[in-house]
Amino acid sequence: MAPGRPVVVGGNRTPFARAGGHYAHASNLDLLTAALDGLVARFGLAGERLGEVAAGAVLKHSRDFNLTRETVLGSALANDTPAYDVQMACATGMETVMSLADKIRLGRVEAAVAGGVDSASDAPIVVSEQLRAALLEANRARSTAARLKALSRIRPSHLAPVAPDVAEPRTGLSMGEHQALTTAEWGIGREEQDALTLASHQRLAAAYDAGFFDDLITPYRGLVRDANLRPDTSMEKLGALKPVFGKRLDTPATMTAGNSTPLSDGASTVLLAEQAWAAARGLPALAEVVDAEAGAVDFVHGKDGLLMAPVYAVPRLLARHGMSLADFEIVEIHEAFAATVLATLKAWEDEDFGRTRLGLDGAFGSVHRDRLNVHGSSLAAGHPFAATGGRIVATAAKELANRGSGARALVSVCAAGGQGVVAILEAV
Amino acid sequence: MSAPEAGGADAAGSTLVEELAEVPPLSTSLRRGLVASTVAAVRHDRGLTPFDLPAVRLAARGLAADAVRLTAYEHLVGATASDDLPAGFVHVLAFPVMTALMVRPEFPLPLLGMVHLANTVTQRRPVRLDEALDVEVHAERLAAHHRGVSVDLVAEVSVADEPVWRGVSTYLAKGYALAGESAERVERPDWRAPTPTGAWRLPADLGRRYAAVSGDHNPIHTSTLAAKAFGFPRTIAHGMYTAARALAEIGEPDAFTWHAEFFAPVVLPGTASVRIAKEGNGGVLDAWGKRHHLHVSVTAP
Repeated sequence: MAPGRPVVVGGNRTPFARAGGHYAHASNLDLLTAALDGLVARFGLAGERLGEVAAGAVLKHSRDFNLTRETVLGSALANDTPAYDVQMACATGMETVMSLADKIRLGRVEAAVAGGVDSASDAPIVVSEQLRAALLEANRARSTAARLKALSRIRPSHLAPVAPDVAEPRTGLSMGEHQALTTAEWGIGREEQDALTLASHQRLAAAYDAGFFDDLITPYRGLVRDANLRPDTSMEKLGALKPVFGKRLDTPATMTAGNSTPLSDGASTVLLAEQAWAAARGLPALAEVVDAEAGAVDFVHGKDGLLMAPVYAVPRLLARHGMSLADFEIVEIHEAFAATVLATLKAWEDEDFGRTRLGLDGAFGSVHRDRLNVHGSSLAAGHPFAATGGRIVATAAKELANRGSGARALVSVCAAGGQGVVAILEAV
Repeated sequence: MSAPEAGGADAAGSTLVEELAEVPPLSTSLRRGLVASTVAAVRHDRGLTPFDLPAVRLAARGLAADAVRLTAYEHLVGATASDDLPAGFVHVLAFPVMTALMVRPEFPLPLLGMVHLANTVTQRRPVRLDEALDVEVHAERLAAHHRGVSVDLVAEVSVADEPVWRGVSTYLAKGYALAGESAERVERPDWRAPTPTGAWRLPADLGRRYAAVSGDHNPIHTSTLAAKAFGFPRTIAHGMYTAARALAEIGEPDAFTWHAEFFAPVVLPGTASVRIAKEGNGGVLDAWGKRHHLHVSVTAP
């Protein structure tokens, strides 16, 4: 096969629910199947064998070791479509898009589905280490006496379930507490965080009202819009919320439940294909996946903030293409927290940071707010971790197609573990 | 083993090495330590001379690490299970020999109630799980401290006569005095809590869990009642647990010096703020709550 040009044909996702809400009883498998079947229906792929399906979940039960393959087997796609799981925390969706686009460019795959799902409602519950050790020991025991001896070590306190820890394993700090350190370091204020949050809600609501998401979302379980969306929120309402992160620092705490993303449930999928494959079927080619870059920072030793990897990955990616921030009509920066986006922009605008940390002659550049997250982002939509990449890529690709050939989007998604994946999309 | 080095023991005259046929279990030593400590407390004989340390050096040969216990230790202190022994685990292996020396009748200070002030380990190369370790222990540097008398317990570990590890544990016995010597309180420069890079959430049963993997069942770490008897509101974390966790987080170069200073005990359960910074192949770590708990440094030559 000849090398190909990977394009985004389209996307489909479920509306995102708040944890414990509309999808409280739906599993990761249910949600991903709903999103995939919606995509298959939209592009008439029922019974088709696709090159590959790649997706993943951040909060995943061990029984779902083959989550994506099981999803394909239960979907309308042909059962001889191969599938595999990917896990790169909140960058999972971006990583599936990046790796499948690479395979299409290599000519190894013609059409593929990238995606991700997460359910904070259906999170696996873990037993305590002491109980786990005793049960495993009992399982290894060869005699009843040895088994009873192992089980006799269990104490009532060992029976308390352990919810999945949202803290970074190596620092013990939650993502919010980590962002609070970065927020303080860059002096990001409460008002600018709330203003960014307000814009996210207003822009997402406007996009829904304009019908922008009609061919990107399939309603599920009675939910037709993202449950977290508050079209009528205001600076007053956001300003009334109490800070929840950074309360132990010397600087004023500014991060609230409003300007941080909520725990969410949902799934997203993106159909990627070689351009000729799409054309032969009369399917659209919204945007080309031009290139992508993964990044990581050493947050463990406090060298950089946990969510600052894209700050380094974007300049590397753009340098490879001789581009600057001014070359992008739209810039999508995942709103893990409003302060994440603001700290990213501030770092890029900082002369000293550009010179000493990015190795440039000065500041990397600035992003005009009119180009930033034009249809809202995670603060309004919610953030089912692995599903966010697919949501952003499909949204950006459609917006680029509307703007016309040559329009470019920069997509940036940060992730736990001090990582991130960034990409360039360009309207075909 | 190597010739005795200059120290308090040598100053007293000749030194003899006494080889232990087997390392006494720590529980036995702790019982003897409890009796000896009580006797010492009753005697009220708290005046010492710099020459009161036992001249004997205790040796134990062919000590081996147990893989299951090693794994439990590594996981508890936050290290990856490796066949290279964490430097803190070598301390755990040598500790019963140190304790055996401290509970001998001629040792002038009571084992129980002693405060661990500082610990310095110099490791010349990684020590492997399958190596047989020879340990030799002596006490030196009986010194005046503004709150009592401090002493260094020195453990030297070698593999087939190759010195690989040397640990110096400095303990304080409160309320004792050294004849003809006094020490002013050493003022430390004001310490201001920096921006943390992480947090340690330390559970209530941490003392019992570290006791299980280290063998150090000192009751101030395992029993609330005993901790109260020694003036703590609840049990406190083992200093060597906090130092070992810091070492695991900083990382062990091939050869290094690991230095820990314990300023204030960590009461359990508790959360401590932590700041870690890499410096070359080593690094430094501070942990604090309301007070500065400890400072740990790892320096590679």
